[in-house]
Amino acid sequence: MAAIAARALERRYKSGLQAVAGIDLTVEPGEVYGFLGPNGAGKTTTVRMLVTLLRPTGGEATVAGYDVATQPGEVRKRIGVALQEAALDPLMTGVELMELQATLHGIPKADVVARSSDLIERVGLVEARDRRVGTYSGGMKRRLDLAMALIHRPEVLFLDEPTTGLDPVSRLTLWEEVRRLRDEGTTVFLTTQYLEEADVLADRVGIISGGRIVVEGTPAALKAQVGRPHLDITLTPDADVDRARGVVSPHGELQPPTEDVHLRLTVEHGSASIAPVVRALDEAGLTVAGMQLVEPTLDDVFVQQTGSHLEGAGAPAA
Amino acid sequence: MMLVATLALARRALRGLLRRPQFVAPLVLFPTVFLAVNVGGLSRTTDLPGFPHVNGFLDFQLSAGITQSLLLGGVSAGIAVALEIEMGFFDRLAAAPIPRASMILGRIAAASVIAIFQALYFVVLGLIFGAQIEGGILGLLLVLVIASLAGTGFAAMGVMLALLARNASTVQGIFPLVFVILFVSSAFFPRALLEEPARTIARFNPLSYISDGMRDPIISSISWGPVLEGIAAALGLVIVFVGLSVVALRGRLRDA
Amino acid sequence: MRDSWLTIRALTARAMNEVLRVPGGAIPGILAPTIFMLGLSSVFGEAARLPGFTAEDFRTYIVPVGLLQGAAFAGAATGVNMARDIERGWFDRLLLAPQPRGVVLAGLVSSAAFRSLLPGTFLVVVALVLGVHLPSFLGIVLTIVLVMGLAAVMACWGSVVALRFRTQQAAPLIQILGFVAVLFTTAYAPFALLTPWLRAIAHVNPVTYVLEGIRQGFVGDVTWADTWPALLAVVGLLVLLGAWAVRSMRRFGT
Repeated sequence: MAAIAARALERRYKSGLQAVAGIDLTVEPGEVYGFLGPNGAGKTTTVRMLVTLLRPTGGEATVAGYDVATQPGEVRKRIGVALQEAALDPLMTGVELMELQATLHGIPKADVVARSSDLIERVGLVEARDRRVGTYSGGMKRRLDLAMALIHRPEVLFLDEPTTGLDPVSRLTLWEEVRRLRDEGTTVFLTTQYLEEADVLADRVGIISGGRIVVEGTPAALKAQVGRPHLDITLTPDADVDRARGVVSPHGELQPPTEDVHLRLTVEHGSASIAPVVRALDEAGLTVAGMQLVEPTLDDVFVQQTGSHLEGAGAPAA
Repeated sequence: MMLVATLALARRALRGLLRRPQFVAPLVLFPTVFLAVNVGGLSRTTDLPGFPHVNGFLDFQLSAGITQSLLLGGVSAGIAVALEIEMGFFDRLAAAPIPRASMILGRIAAASVIAIFQALYFVVLGLIFGAQIEGGILGLLLVLVIASLAGTGFAAMGVMLALLARNASTVQGIFPLVFVILFVSSAFFPRALLEEPARTIARFNPLSYISDGMRDPIISSISWGPVLEGIAAALGLVIVFVGLSVVALRGRLRDA
Repeated sequence: MRDSWLTIRALTARAMNEVLRVPGGAIPGILAPTIFMLGLSSVFGEAARLPGFTAEDFRTYIVPVGLLQGAAFAGAATGVNMARDIERGWFDRLLLAPQPRGVVLAGLVSSAAFRSLLPGTFLVVVALVLGVHLPSFLGIVLTIVLVMGLAAVMACWGSVVALRFRTQQAAPLIQILGFVAVLFTTAYAPFALLTPWLRAIAHVNPVTYVLEGIRQGFVGDVTWADTWPALLAVVGLLVLLGAWAVRSMRRFGT
């Protein structure tokens, strides 16, 4: 049974705006699914429908085995949600919010305190637990929000743009946490506008644009569709080009030469390919002026599908 | 330059009011409700010995409604300025090459115009429900003059509070105080029939004279005594509060 | 069932933070009905000398009005807070809880009922100091029930408005209704002395009966004849507005 399954999911607002125009997706239990798209593509609307905050105007979806439209109560028992705006009450302390969340999710009174403390410790907020949330930094608020989403040990966790606006260290910490959750068996549905985040964290990625999913698959498979990584090697002006080409050709596919001292070698394994090539050239006594690994990115995937860039607010591809 | 800047800012204040009807409603709705309830519940008090001769209790209460509405307008002007300060628009004005005083005179001047409409609203409302303006056209004009002056004075008071308080919620907390001051005046009931200590305080409360000054042309033919006292009290408020708000402005600009 | 009770308790406790943790924030709401009563009685006090007035003095007559104003204000504040929570996204958190909508609403509304006791207590203390005659124990219990009931009713109204408009700017709409509901009654004078139009409105306004239910203890004895209409009015309003509020919550986000 899929953790999340959506068929032709649609949302048309009363004003006529079609925010989501027919989404099909399936997320298997224990998977990290990256939902990637530019601002305004319909990510948040889709998430709000899947977490039962918004009713679909067409299509259907089940989460944790229950229909979001007809059995929302059952869905809510099994999902954890951390929305874009960390919706916290500034007048309450961290531990008070955790305990309120526990109560709202029906956790037995005897377990409330213990579980709250455990989660606070897990996200590293022990020192701040008794301080009012109004005094927390952005990163701390996100961590508390995540802890609150986990209090009832949900099967499926929805994270809506969890690292937007966070400093790099906080971002890495959150990525760590997502990996840990996946290892524990939680399904994670992650929306993001950062392709690096989707690339690094997601088992599978779905790219949304204009209210529809335009392409879906593992990051590696999607990028492979666009092309394979290649090494751009720049030799020194006095190099023996033919010999260099002979040296590197066993390590990949030589592309037609563009200029004399530039070689382009398509390789299988991205950065793992660099060391052997460097070693081979070195052993042959050939000096290299520069080498660069160029990998297709999810942005390239997006451009291929839609003609626009993913990052940079939908600027048309050059 | 002073005039140009003041007029431009006055126009802006007026436009702002018209574009945000949710600010207008409390200004006028609330005193209307109060007026209706007072009239509906206490009309018989006109029978009490000592009550001046009136066509109806409504005629008596109209000037109270106007005064209350003008006071709320003053608080509202104060909140608007406090919000401007909070949002930084005020600093933008300070950086412009306009005379310092015009930064606030615009809004105060706008209040003098808005006040006329507030007063007219109650007059028309009163006429619809059977009140009469005994003093005729001249009486109506006198009511509008006093209302305009009083509205200006109250707006200046609101602006002064905003400059001193620096945030909108403090100014908003002043709202109950407005009621207190109005209650210890002869706005709603003849001074002679008030209980102590209200009666004594009312004697020194400018709101008494402003209300009485507007009331006189409505309930009887014009007696220059109360009317002139009303004009004097309103003018006094204008002078005092405009002066104080300019001082407060200077103080704020110096500290900023 | 135990879940629901704990939820209601937790949400009520949270709402009380507004009063307990914001320094001075609650003071205007607590003082306002008392100020209103004092002002009103010093201005219109002489009205009690009119023939047909059913109380010894005006102040005693209008203390119940102040109690209901405190209730109405507490209820309205709950609605305004809900609008703020919706704007801020906190409300989403409540909607994501696997609790029935009615339970969440009950949690939010019950805080209003408790909050209404603050201005009410202050008002009664001041009134006592000024010599107003207080009701018997039964009258006080009835007063508390009716005040808390009206606060809950107003909180339901406030919730309906908040859920419909989703912004704090709808606050005046909530407050004005409370004001009108409490004042367009026998607030200032008995039926016989009201002008015909106000008398007609007061007759159909359920809050009039709630007011009279409270007032009876202050001006005389508590009788069943004056009590049952008050209870019926509160219960009826609570059922109607409560249902409307729950329905609004269910439809939120559709």
